[in-house]
Amino acid sequence: MIELEGIQKTYTSGSIQTPVLKGISFRIEAGEFVAIMGASGTGKSTLMNILGCLDKPTAGHYRLDGTDMVSLEDDALSRLRNRKIGFVFQQFHLLDRASALRNVMLPLIYTDPYPEDAGARAERALTAVGLSDRMTYKPSQLSGGQQQRVAIARALITNPSILLVDEPTGNLDSKSGAEVMAIFQRLHRDGRTIVLVTHDRAVAEHANRVVLLKDGMVAEDRPVAQPRDADAEARVLAGKETSK
Amino acid sequence: MRLLRIAKEGARALAAHKLRTFFMMAGTIIGIAALTVIMAVGKGTEKKVMKRVNAFGAHAIMITAGGGKGFSPPQEGITTLRLEDAEAVRTQTGGVDVVAPFAVKRGMSIKAGGNQVQTTVMAVAPEWHDAWEWYAADGEPITAEDTAAMSRVCLLGTLTAKDLFGDQNPIGEYIQIGNVRFKVKGILQERGVSPMGDEFDRRLVIPLTTGLRRLFNQDYITNIRVKVKDSGRIESIAAEVRQFLHERHHITPPKEDDFAIFSAADIAKMARGISGTLTYLLGALAGLSLLVGGIVLMNILLISVGERIKEIGLRRALGATRRDVFMQFLTESLAVTISGMVIGSVLGWLVSIILARVTQFPVVISWEPFALALGFAMIVGVFFGVQPARRAARLKPVEALR
Repeated sequence: MIELEGIQKTYTSGSIQTPVLKGISFRIEAGEFVAIMGASGTGKSTLMNILGCLDKPTAGHYRLDGTDMVSLEDDALSRLRNRKIGFVFQQFHLLDRASALRNVMLPLIYTDPYPEDAGARAERALTAVGLSDRMTYKPSQLSGGQQQRVAIARALITNPSILLVDEPTGNLDSKSGAEVMAIFQRLHRDGRTIVLVTHDRAVAEHANRVVLLKDGMVAEDRPVAQPRDADAEARVLAGKETSK
Repeated sequence: MRLLRIAKEGARALAAHKLRTFFMMAGTIIGIAALTVIMAVGKGTEKKVMKRVNAFGAHAIMITAGGGKGFSPPQEGITTLRLEDAEAVRTQTGGVDVVAPFAVKRGMSIKAGGNQVQTTVMAVAPEWHDAWEWYAADGEPITAEDTAAMSRVCLLGTLTAKDLFGDQNPIGEYIQIGNVRFKVKGILQERGVSPMGDEFDRRLVIPLTTGLRRLFNQDYITNIRVKVKDSGRIESIAAEVRQFLHERHHITPPKEDDFAIFSAADIAKMARGISGTLTYLLGALAGLSLLVGGIVLMNILLISVGERIKEIGLRRALGATRRDVFMQFLTESLAVTISGMVIGSVLGWLVSIILARVTQFPVVISWEPFALALGFAMIVGVFFGVQPARRAARLKPVEALR
């Protein structure tokens, strides 16, 4: 569960102060699939960094499962990221020279105690994203969509409280993008809490709730009555491809 | 263990960039190889020096009649070294324990039964045994009574005994030196080879007075052997004796010395020869290689940190603490220097063996250089790894992921 309370972030460069977030408050309950939407420059990346415990707000409170991260030291934040947050990035951020399996196991290196079944867990995570036959492949041997699915498996391996997803389809073609979104929708149905950050309304509407940022403030916070069905979109796109 | 998992990450990064890793290692390899060779040659030399010094006598100073810079046998016909000199050294210079005058004659013809040999005869004072720490293994030593009575008795070196009497016990038997008959009263202990390569055991010892008056017909001696109380002061005592004899013999430069003095310290210097120079050269090479290698290592690591900013950011996002990142880069640095040390040690060990085969350098292979090399490798690895590791650890995850 996420609680944001009056979050402000101001960047200071010399004597110039640039406020980016100007008091943001909202809650995300466990099991929600929320899209945070905004054009570039609205502070959504900054908010994403704060939600990911990669950066601290200048003012306000951010409680993740009841823990206020604002007061935590750097080491405690690292542990919090490791245990509670699964990141999925636009550029995938996989290690080039490591196999899919090793990439998925990467967060466990920083988990104490190290799970005995790390290898089996990574295999299960890769199977869950449909890559059971690609475990030993290097990222360069995988398509963009497959690489993003490896990244999703990596985000899931520590069984985090929230999945923090940043423009997951930004580097993908529309069919791969739809497939990746279908995975998130399936994970949501299985009970995962997902926070999706995007500038793209079409992507955002796969979620069940959209928080719209404008000029460092929440401009709109509304449920999505009828989320788009990524699975169906993917099927349509696959059909187009075969009919070509 | 977390640290072990992180170290493995470092090792994987090194294995993935083999050429870069090799360049990082090169300095350590050369430095440690040189260090290993130095230690092997150094130890070998010290062993040789100890052997030579012990053969000469660690407490010994030898005064030889006749000048000259080299350590050579006494020259024939030099009459300036006298018994009075020995007495004066004994009573008027400090730090001396035993003073033993003696006279040497080379190539004397010895007969016993049907056998004849040419060998070196030494006419010695009774103190000679103590001065050389060289005693009778069998039978009796030369005594003060022998010199007082000018007895015609002798002690044989073990090889002389063998040459003359074979396996027969020579004690109580008679031999003939020149025209004079001597009774064998003892056998000297085995002594091996002199620093100059002479067979110590192929010698024959008689009382000093008997030698001077009955055999050599001379009133001068060829050598004075001095044993000092403290081997640590041997050089200063030798200098004092030299000064003292200069005064007694009225020698002032540019007049040349009519005697030569060698101490155990001089023997050690000669035995060390050029190995000291070699050690300095290799030492400089080892130090320079480790320093330059360390700087190269540090710079490549710094470049590597720059290239891997995204990786560092990712690791931080996934839960690596600053310390984890620091330790990964430090273990990379340490893995490089320790692997370099292993390769360098093996290389140095091979070079030492080849050096021992093709040159006269005495070489001793031991475990110490490996322990020292490990120490150096760790110091270099940590010293030059800390800066890049700190830079990596200080990266902010937000900025690194951009």
